[in-house]
Amino acid sequence: MSLNILSTIENLSSIPTLPAVIERLTRLLQNPKTSAEEVGKAITTDQTLASKVLRLVNSAFYGFPGRISTITHAIVILGFSTVKNVVLTTSILDAFRNNGNSASGFNLDQFWLHSIACGAASLSIAKQLGTIDKEECFIAGLIHDIGKIIFCQYLPGEFDQVIKHSIDHKQLLYKSEHELFQCTHEEIGGFLTEKWNLPLSLQNAVKYHHNPSPSHEHFMITAIVHFADILVRAMDFGNGGDNFIPSISDKVWKSIGLDTINFHTLLESVSDEVDKASVFIQMI
Amino acid sequence: MKKIPVASIEDSMVVARDICGSNGNILITKGTPLSAAMGRRLESWGVSSVYVEGEEETTEEADIERESPEELKNHLIEKFISVIDKPLMKKIFNAVFEYRRSKS
Repeated sequence: MSLNILSTIENLSSIPTLPAVIERLTRLLQNPKTSAEEVGKAITTDQTLASKVLRLVNSAFYGFPGRISTITHAIVILGFSTVKNVVLTTSILDAFRNNGNSASGFNLDQFWLHSIACGAASLSIAKQLGTIDKEECFIAGLIHDIGKIIFCQYLPGEFDQVIKHSIDHKQLLYKSEHELFQCTHEEIGGFLTEKWNLPLSLQNAVKYHHNPSPSHEHFMITAIVHFADILVRAMDFGNGGDNFIPSISDKVWKSIGLDTINFHTLLESVSDEVDKASVFIQMI
Repeated sequence: MKKIPVASIEDSMVVARDICGSNGNILITKGTPLSAAMGRRLESWGVSSVYVEGEEETTEEADIERESPEELKNHLIEKFISVIDKPLMKKIFNAVFEYRRSKS
């Protein structure tokens, strides 16, 4: 009888958590009367987090010409939403650090490189479209495969079987996951993002990145991640555990307007964003 | 724009992309003129290469590292193996192949 992966993971007591500041921040940002000082104060209660946020906002990724020395200053310059996204990104990456367990056939460095590249590519596609929150797209791309890391860290033996199966059958990991355990990294990621209370847009992008149709009102962000994943695989930016390219959904092709897009310009901008996002590597 | 090792920085070269230190902070912003002395300082700060303005030069070294179009095509075919017969995926394949060939 095969193991029920999802219920095993749901019952784990040691699943990574996000710091309490995220929830406090979400509450504060829902109130239009909240001041930059209040948000700054909430973030600086966690000094380690605050210093990482400052390092990121001063990096080329955000490209602000000049030194930002306090969180309050960062909020004034970059806005609430950007700072919240930086805090969220930092906290998510932190939640996965230094968990020693891992499947032997899974290269974590390559995995993170693939994830960061997918985030950067999603950001770049969102920039070209100009109609969607590009920083949220970055986070969605960054965490789209988060289910794989849970799978490989908490059930390493089973995940090794998945990797072997995917190589033997020359197919994508999620197909092997489904065939062997009737549960995919999308579902595991969906469970985690729900548990973390992340915005529904991010939950959908993680849960449906291989098949965006069911994501309904969050279709665009999911479609962007779906396409970004294809591009970064084809460009060999990192490796998410298998060496194949998923097929693009017709609906995604049409929604992003790929018939009229200049691929050369897009790939150039994706490569540039991936370069800039390399700062995130140091946080893992 | 071209990427060069910091040791090859010469006086009056101009930074084409912000130069970041190992902690991600911007050390020198785009548009700043460089000097050989600054190159040595960047090296001491752990920066190995920078983007400067100007056309990419073809060097013998680059020729050695270059992947032949045939090798690149075979590599991509292997990755696209199960989707290459789909028209939209063929378009992506061609676009990525052309882009990567132009850069190699």
